Amino acid sequence: MTDLLRRLMRTPQGAIGLILLAVLAAVCLFGPWLAPHDPEKMDFLGRFRPLGAQNWFGADQFGRDVLSRLLVGARSTLPMALAATLLGTVAGAVVGTASAYLGGRWDEAIMRTIDAVMAVPGLLLALLLVSTLGNGAGNAMIAIAVTFAPGMARVTRAVALTVRGQDYVKSATVRGESASWIIFREMLPNVMAPVVIEATIRVSFAVMLFATLSFLGLGAQPPASEWGLMVAEARQYVHQAPWILIAPSLAIAMTAIAFNLLGDGLRDAMNPRDER
Amino acid sequence: MTAVLSLRDYTLDYLTGSRPLRVLQDISLDIAPGEVLGLVGESGSGKSTLAWAIMRHLPKNARELSGTIRLGGTDLRSLPPRELTRIRGRRIGMVFQDPSTALNPTLTVGRQVTETLVNNRGLTRRAAWDLALELLGHVELRDPEALMRRYPHQISGGEKQRILIATAFGCRPELIVFDEPTTALDVITGARILDLFARLRAETGVAALYISHDLALVSRVADRVAVMKKGRLVEEAPAASIFARPAHEETRKLVAAVPRPENRLVHDRPGDRVLLAAEAVSVRYARPRLFRPPPPPATHAVGFDIKAGEILGIVGESGSGKSSIARALTGLADFSGGIRFDGRPIGSARDMDGAYRRAVQIVFQHPDGSLNPRQTVGEILSRPLKLFGTGQANLSAEIGRLLEQVRLPAAYATRWPHQLSGGEKQRVAIARAFAAKPSLVICDEITAPLDVSVQASIIELLLSLRAETGAAYLFITHDINLIRQIAHRIAVMRRGELVDLLPIDAVDADHVHPYTRDLMAASPTPVG
Amino acid sequence: MSASWLLRRLALILYTTFIVSVLVFGITQALPADAAVTLLGENATAEALNAIRERLGLGDPIWWQYLRWVGHAATGDFGLSMRTGQPVGPEMLTALGRSLLLAVAAILVMLVIAVPLGMLAAVRQGKLADMATGLISYLGVSFPEFVTATLLAMLLADTLQWLPATGYVSPLEDFGGALRHLALPVLTASLILVAHVARMVRSETLDVLHSDYIRAARLKGLPERTVLVRHALRNALLPVVTIVALDVGYLLGGIIVIEEIFAIPGIGRQLMVAVTARDLPSIQAGALIMSATYAVANTLADVAYAVLDKRIRYD
Repeated sequence: MTDLLRRLMRTPQGAIGLILLAVLAAVCLFGPWLAPHDPEKMDFLGRFRPLGAQNWFGADQFGRDVLSRLLVGARSTLPMALAATLLGTVAGAVVGTASAYLGGRWDEAIMRTIDAVMAVPGLLLALLLVSTLGNGAGNAMIAIAVTFAPGMARVTRAVALTVRGQDYVKSATVRGESASWIIFREMLPNVMAPVVIEATIRVSFAVMLFATLSFLGLGAQPPASEWGLMVAEARQYVHQAPWILIAPSLAIAMTAIAFNLLGDGLRDAMNPRDER
Repeated sequence: MTAVLSLRDYTLDYLTGSRPLRVLQDISLDIAPGEVLGLVGESGSGKSTLAWAIMRHLPKNARELSGTIRLGGTDLRSLPPRELTRIRGRRIGMVFQDPSTALNPTLTVGRQVTETLVNNRGLTRRAAWDLALELLGHVELRDPEALMRRYPHQISGGEKQRILIATAFGCRPELIVFDEPTTALDVITGARILDLFARLRAETGVAALYISHDLALVSRVADRVAVMKKGRLVEEAPAASIFARPAHEETRKLVAAVPRPENRLVHDRPGDRVLLAAEAVSVRYARPRLFRPPPPPATHAVGFDIKAGEILGIVGESGSGKSSIARALTGLADFSGGIRFDGRPIGSARDMDGAYRRAVQIVFQHPDGSLNPRQTVGEILSRPLKLFGTGQANLSAEIGRLLEQVRLPAAYATRWPHQLSGGEKQRVAIARAFAAKPSLVICDEITAPLDVSVQASIIELLLSLRAETGAAYLFITHDINLIRQIAHRIAVMRRGELVDLLPIDAVDADHVHPYTRDLMAASPTPVG
Repeated sequence: MSASWLLRRLALILYTTFIVSVLVFGITQALPADAAVTLLGENATAEALNAIRERLGLGDPIWWQYLRWVGHAATGDFGLSMRTGQPVGPEMLTALGRSLLLAVAAILVMLVIAVPLGMLAAVRQGKLADMATGLISYLGVSFPEFVTATLLAMLLADTLQWLPATGYVSPLEDFGGALRHLALPVLTASLILVAHVARMVRSETLDVLHSDYIRAARLKGLPERTVLVRHALRNALLPVVTIVALDVGYLLGGIIVIEEIFAIPGIGRQLMVAVTARDLPSIQAGALIMSATYAVANTLADVAYAVLDKRIRYD
């Protein structure tokens, strides 16, 4: 693990991604303590106060401190996106591995069905699911997880099929190893790396998708300081105070960039042949 | 007479991670007009880098430290890229190792041949097309007109290589660099390409640099042979004498490693007890599916037996079904027909119980793929040991014993596969097979990706392991000379069928199948 | 391309349509909304509610409702909107037309920018142009549409006043006006696509540039221009077909957001309105039509690839 971290820090993408993520993690953990003001505290004298010593990132239409809202809002965006990705990845990995292991007609049927499900554009599927489950952050998370699962299943299956064709797996089959040994000890460690990389990059999609659902009014609900929601609420005040729009926009983009960079960094660092 | 190509004190480094790596050191050589210089060396000896240096196509991290490369009167090192473009193809041609990747897959053959002729001979398209037809006809390709309209994937590897050779000669260069032009081809196809090379060379009198890892082959096609080791030219000698009187140690090593059929390495006779018998084994990979015609079977009703302690060679070209036999015997492929092992009938992979799995082991061709990259050598070896009854207490001692048996240091148990060389990985794979104390080991092309000297040491290891354990080998290979050194009997396969099953001393007899005769003729024994 | 290959493709399309229709129908049926209540309002009498349930066949078994819906949908009849009382099908198809105008324009703009950009980055690997493209790609794929749209609208419409912020004008009525109104949405939609496709084109081009046949072409003495244009870029263009087709799904999702922000009465906006109003027939029609559009785009890409790529034998 430390070895991986060391190699990750050696790639420029990995290093920048890790640093950005460390900042984000700190914000998620200590956001409320770091926040200079109470994010819910309204101050009608300070409405649309520009960037300055009192409010570093300015104040919004109710005079709330934008920086404080961002710092606290990280908690309603990032963990949701991570949970959604994790859930979708696990579900997809199980289906994908099972499909690759079963092979033959079952594989064909499962993969064709997954292809068909993927014909529904991701945001549309998430939208349909949330409108059925009901608006709210938790439901948005489940919807994103379901939306991700087919894609992850496909990736996992492709990797698992490649690994299954390797001679070391054949060698285990030939010496009569059990199915569980072959799947968990021979295949899984080699399937993990590409799946983790894919999942990392998908976290950035999850962040964007979650913010988008909140923006459309289907995810987090007011008065939460979820970043997508903040953008949606700020839109009508663009003329008075562009910063209340720009600040959460950049926060979303920075998070997405961090996970994209980390994914690319991992891809370089996780290749075991790279060491020599 | 001035040399066509002349290198003087040429030294080159590759810049890698920490410090520069010396790849070529003080190389000096000359090729006279009409002469063929053979360049031999193992992988990593720098022979390919030398070819790229001559073609002026070096990777970005290459640093040329000193020396000159002259083509006739032209100093190649001082030429700007634009001038080099006019040298390549026109004055130096090149023929590559793998013809299937040297042609652009999305352009027709005719287009690619004619564009070269238009560019390098200044012909019109019409004239280039006519010349291409003539050239293709001249290299014994049937129906050049139709061939020219095909895409590369629609023609065979041998045909592609003929086309590439015809094009290279058709540009009338002063020198042609051949980079292992037969290595990617089947034995018989490769032999015919060599005949073609000899004929075209005699007709045109072009000078050539012929690069190969195969000393025996080079000594037949070249006038002079140069031997490389670790970036240095260690010996240059006339082809006729290099086998008889190798001067340098490296050359002697290469000569000694060349397999010679007359130099038998196995002198005993196997017992009479039949260990394994395959009866009408047919392997078919894909099931028939909706809307798709069923593929032909990989092997048709192949039958043979292996006696205890015997070495049975299976030879044939790629796609002949020899690996499918290995897959059937190990339960990796579904098969019809039957196998008898120690008298017990085995009808399918499901009948292969622990005893059979233990007794029949396999070593795969590619050592990179056969070791799990996320397990150490110790873990890799411990698994079959545990599975076949070694207790936890003796485990590390047993692993040490196995490593010693395959001549690897016991400390290797803690290493990862990517820290080993190709030959070392193959030794670990062999150790893993022998961990089960097998009575039959299937070796599927295990020496093919290795250098000749490594190959020779692996063969030596296998023979000593056989002497220790009495295991029988099913040795699958395309190297006829190698298998004639060690096998008791040889099975010849072609297009999924067993065409011959001969005792080793009968392979040159008159009654053999015509295909067997072609195969033997395509692998001539080394001269001298 | 043989008959059996086409047959297999056809079977796949049918299966895809089946799965998608089941999915759309299943999800919308689970919507926590009673169609009868939605239609008549909260204060309707029990008799009136029962009567309308009877008329809509809401009491029938679920599979029968599904078959009836699919049967009607196949003829273009998606029922009446619960919101407006108008037939849903024609309304959605008109909206689809507007969305396709936006989508096709976005894809064209994207192709014109992304393909040369990706190839340039590959040819100049490691140089300034490559690093700049890489940076643009990273930034591009990290801004969700609603952020890009809002920021662009803020800059180009509110601050600089170059373009109208919202609205839709039919190109048949006022071509110039249509262009001005489409500019922001198309820019937004193409930005994330440019970032993604440029990255993919770069890596495809690099693969080709490092292939043996390109090396062989160079060593045959062909001029660098010929090598790049005739041998490398041509082959690198092929996979772009597949990449673009996959991105159509992303684009269709993005269009929902973009139409919402720029107030374009396309299928995405109709769908959002329907979702808000819990207008079942409209949701079903919108979702099915969007998914079908994506499936058709993918099939077209497959066929185009098959026609263009001489290497694969479709048997």
